Amino acid sequence: MFIARSEYDRGINTFSPEGRLFQVEYSLEAIKLGSTAIGIQTGEGVVLGVEKRVTSTLLETSSVEKIVEIDKHIGCAISGLQADSRTLIEHARVTSQSHAFNYAEPLSVESCTQSICDLALRFGEGADGEESIMSRPFGVALLIGGWDEDGPALYHAEPSGTFYRYDAKAIGSGSEGAQAELVNEYHKSLTLKEAEKLALQTLKQVMEEKLDAKNVQLASVTKDKGFRIYSDEEMKEIVGTLENN
Amino acid sequence: MASMFHVPMPSENMGYSFAPQAVSGEPTQHSFYPYTDNGGSTLGITGPSFCILAGDTRSTSGYNINTRYAPKLFRIGGSGPSNKNSRLVLSVVGFAADGKALAERLDLIVKMYKYQHGKEMSVSACAARLSHVLYNKRFFPYYVHAILGGLDEHGVGALYSYDPVGSYEREQCRAAGAAASLIMPFLDNQVNFKNQYIPGSGTGEGASRVMEQRVRGEKDMGEDEVMGLVRDAFTSAVERHIEVGDGLQIMVIGKEGVKETYVELKKD
Repeated sequence: MFIARSEYDRGINTFSPEGRLFQVEYSLEAIKLGSTAIGIQTGEGVVLGVEKRVTSTLLETSSVEKIVEIDKHIGCAISGLQADSRTLIEHARVTSQSHAFNYAEPLSVESCTQSICDLALRFGEGADGEESIMSRPFGVALLIGGWDEDGPALYHAEPSGTFYRYDAKAIGSGSEGAQAELVNEYHKSLTLKEAEKLALQTLKQVMEEKLDAKNVQLASVTKDKGFRIYSDEEMKEIVGTLENN
Repeated sequence: MASMFHVPMPSENMGYSFAPQAVSGEPTQHSFYPYTDNGGSTLGITGPSFCILAGDTRSTSGYNINTRYAPKLFRIGGSGPSNKNSRLVLSVVGFAADGKALAERLDLIVKMYKYQHGKEMSVSACAARLSHVLYNKRFFPYYVHAILGGLDEHGVGALYSYDPVGSYEREQCRAAGAAASLIMPFLDNQVNFKNQYIPGSGTGEGASRVMEQRVRGEKDMGEDEVMGLVRDAFTSAVERHIEVGDGLQIMVIGKEGVKETYVELKKD
């Protein structure tokens, strides 16, 4: 797939003559191998949905953690190298707690995303005096959903350190198909219930396995309840409402 | 909190560095004292849609007057060195150099916050941050009594007062500095109507007579009325305290931003 990139593939922070950073671009490819994750913003809150790849019938599905809490008002869906996300999530959690400690107010979702992206680019040798923590770019993309003083917000953060705000976004292996579905189905007046269903329907279309209550996970961030991962019972109920399921 | 500052008679501890006159032949012990008390007083009063902070402009060292115009009120945040469009005011009284250092540091924090988070810092957030700034120097404190003023998220006047190590509280009114013990009881009486009773409201007889307290509705604090209280408080303090005088710097934080005025005080 990538031929004749020889010399400029090695130095992490070396531009190619065409002005590209190959390792960063490859890290974006790593995400395309990851399981699909979807985020949908509605007026009532943000819904996050992920596919859990159940590789064995003996696997305890509850140990696959692809949606995590950053703070009580911010949640995050992960696609890519799970282990890499641990560093980013830890950083986001510390930043959020530190902001609440210093300013007695919750961190905004945008500032939280910014703090993650600040870290995402701190790889390679590191400048003088600046400690670098990673030898390579992070191989993980995040969908950060939350509720702050401006209402619901959904952000997509990449290993390249860029982030954008979305109404609805899909990442991971099935992202192309899923994003096309979201573009078709999304509208501004979506309710939280409809968004839950849309997330599952979209996942269902792009998943290789047959969708059931065990191999997908949903979470939401709302004003009143904050971030919460849906229980097994809730998952069964929502999966039950899908057609042909 | 008002008793945070023990105010010695201005004769002792006049400078940063002093060497007591030794009996001839005895060794002289030199010492360095990093703090001075520059005297002066500040006060803050909040209303339903405004917040007023005031401070006299005299700076003293012992019986000397360093200058008749050393502001104790600082605009915080906004843009540029002139703090254009700022909506927060910090007043500091105690050791003037520490006060200025604290104001500059808080200003930097508030300006950086706007760049980092893309919004103006709220008074409550600034209040929490200021508390930490002070507490971080717990073992070499900024020797000041700070009062932070602004408008809260509902547009209501907000005032936060601090001790030198960061304990803070939101209040209706607060006087600080040399004449705090003179001004604070006056404010208790005139702003919060403490010890004011409604005539003829008593029930019972003699010592067991219980009277109804006069209470002020928060809504009826007019800006002009409060301005009158501020000026009266300071003209009276000037009469009774030698470290207070020369001029009065007043900042009114309202919907339209910060208005600054200056009134002359007695220079004796």
